[in-house]
This record gives sequence, C-alpha cells and structure tokens, in this order.
Amino acid sequence: MGTLNPVEETGQSGFFATRADFLVNWGRKNSLWPMPLGLSCCGIELMAMIGPKFDLARFGAEAARFTPRQCDLLIVAGTLTWKMAQACRQIYDQMPDPKWVIAMGVCSSSGGMYDSYAVCQGVDSILPVDVYVPGCPPRPDAVIDAILKLQKKIARESPTGRLAGTGEAIVDEGTGVLHMPPNRAVERSTLDLHPHDPRARRAARESK
Amino acid sequence: MSATTLERVRRALAGLEFEELAARDGMPTLGLAPEDVHAAMERLAHAGRFSTCILVTAVDHLPDEPRFEVVWQLLSVAENDRVRVKCRLPGDEPRVASVSDLWPGARFSERECWDMFGIRFDGLADHRRLLMPEEYGHHPLRKDFPHQGIDPGRLYREWDRARRAQQGFPAQHPDELQPQR
Repeated sequence: MGTLNPVEETGQSGFFATRADFLVNWGRKNSLWPMPLGLSCCGIELMAMIGPKFDLARFGAEAARFTPRQCDLLIVAGTLTWKMAQACRQIYDQMPDPKWVIAMGVCSSSGGMYDSYAVCQGVDSILPVDVYVPGCPPRPDAVIDAILKLQKKIARESPTGRLAGTGEAIVDEGTGVLHMPPNRAVERSTLDLHPHDPRARRAARESK
Repeated sequence: MSATTLERVRRALAGLEFEELAARDGMPTLGLAPEDVHAAMERLAHAGRFSTCILVTAVDHLPDEPRFEVVWQLLSVAENDRVRVKCRLPGDEPRVASVSDLWPGARFSERECWDMFGIRFDGLADHRRLLMPEEYGHHPLRKDFPHQGIDPGRLYREWDRARRAQQGFPAQHPDELQPQR
C-alpha cells in the first residue's frame, strides 16, 4: 500500500509526471459519450449493447445522452437515407470537438443491400468516419470491439498538436503509449491499422 | 370469383359500364374507364357498402399503352368481402378522379401514388409528395427510372452548400471525401 502513496512514504505531497497528450487521451478514450443515431435494426443491437447484458459501462461509454451537444461519439446505426442525411450532418455539426464517428452495420458503412435511389451509399460520403463495423446488424460484441479500436485510435492522437494546429492530429508511432503500464500496453500491430494509414504503408514497404 | 359479392357489385353498379376481369387470387375484379371511376366508386361506397378503401396503388406496364394501371382495393366490413377496381391511364399526364372525398384515408395512398408514379388525382386537395423530398423532381417507381437513382445526393449537396455558406465554412471540408454518386 505504502509504495503507492508518496505522501505516506515521504511525508510530502507527491506529484505524478506524465505527458499532456497521454493524460488527455486517457481521459477522453475512457469516457466516450455516445450519441446513438438508431436508424433501423442496428438501433436494437445498440440498445442491447448499452443495456446490462453487454454492459458498455465496463468501457466507460454507456452515457448515451440523446443530445448531440453533450456527446463526442456519433454512432450511426442503420440505413441512412438521403432525406435523413441532412439531419445526421446537423447532429454531427452540433457535437462539440473533439468528436468521433462509428459507422455501425453495412448500411451506414456502404449502403449495404440498399443499392437504391433513396439511400446514402455510406455515411463517409457526408461525415468523416473513424471505425466501420461490418454485420447486418452487427452483434453488440462487434460494436464493443469497435469502441475498443476507437480507444486505441484516440490513444494515438495528439491533442496538443491539434490545439496548436501543427501538422497531423495523429502522433507518430509509439509516442502516445509511452507511459502506459506494461501490462496494459497497446499492441502496435500493423494489422490493426487502416491500409491508408502512413504507418501501415511504411510497414508494407519495409516488409518487401 | 365469389358469386354473392359479384351480385352485390352488379346491383350497385347497375347502369354503369364496367368489365369483369379474371384475377389469379380469385378476388372480384372490375375494370373501369377513367371517366367512370368516381361515379362507380361512389356507388360502391354507398350502395355496395364498401366502407373502407384498403389501398390505392399503380402498376407501370412500360412498353404497353395505356401505360399505367391504377388499382383500388375496397373492403366491406359489414359483408366481410373485398373488391378490386382497376383503371388504365395513358403514359403522358396520367390523371384520374380522387376518391379521397369518399374515403378520407385514401389521401395518403393517393399522395404516395403521385410521389412514386406521377399520377395526378383530380380532387385531391393536398398534392404534396408523401415520401420523397418536395423538390425531388422524379417519380422513382416508374419503370424508366434507374433503380440507383438520378444523382441521388443532389438535394443533400445543395443543402450542404447553403449551410456552409451560411456558417462561413469553405465549400468542401478538407477531411471529407467527395460524394461518390
């Protein structure tokens, strides 16, 4: 016990050194507030995910607010029609920065089976999307996996760089996990990266 | 074809010209000329005791002329039977009488039929589209409409440009991809 408490050990108030990027990211990724935009059957799986059985509270993302002004994670769950696209974009615009988007299910990822005049062929034609979840509808486990992937992604961001407006919002390899305890370290597998991610391209170049 | 239903329909429509059509499901089916539709429907509603208009829809027989076939299905709750009424309309400017004065619930079906097939209903007070946006400009269930649509994101992009101009954003946000279709 004592080893964890610098006040007990030294008799002085302790301090704790870390990087601002890490601390901010740690706070952000473990308290995502989702804005559920349930547009069709995926909305039912979303409800199951937030409910007690799958218990999203384990990952700190159960505080669904139903108002975009208090949320930082937009989950587009279901078929986005062009008529709904305006409302969806307005919801995204009303969310405060920083904000992330999960496209849940094939309909919101690509239009899915609705290759139709009325359906937007993927929310990425109107919003920047962070994580795509396949499935029709995806099981709650799959969406929880997407939230874990998003947490990894947030851990690699550089909030101070974003504030200063310098260069990329995503920091270079490794720096975002510098002070993580070893047993919780994020595996930096290139398999987890999007193929367009510069690090994935670099790894592909090096493996040749 | 149910004989008793047909008897009632014949009695109700005595003096009007109509055609008895064969239907694969056995439902009594009538064919009417466009100008007779409203008079015949009024008789079916009152003398025929068909108290409910179940649906108003249309079929597009594209290469054929007359091109459109409007279909009404009526239900008599008192007699527990149904009748189907059909009417063929020409391909350019299809119009037919509205039955929304007899069955007010038919307004929604007629608005949908206008939206999807572009068939005008004379006497329908409110001719807004039911499903598509008002400025959409096409009738998507017509057979000559491509199923992937004609520039389906057009209205969204117009709205988005206006919104960006109003909020002082550049016309296209650098993070975003160009709409694909």
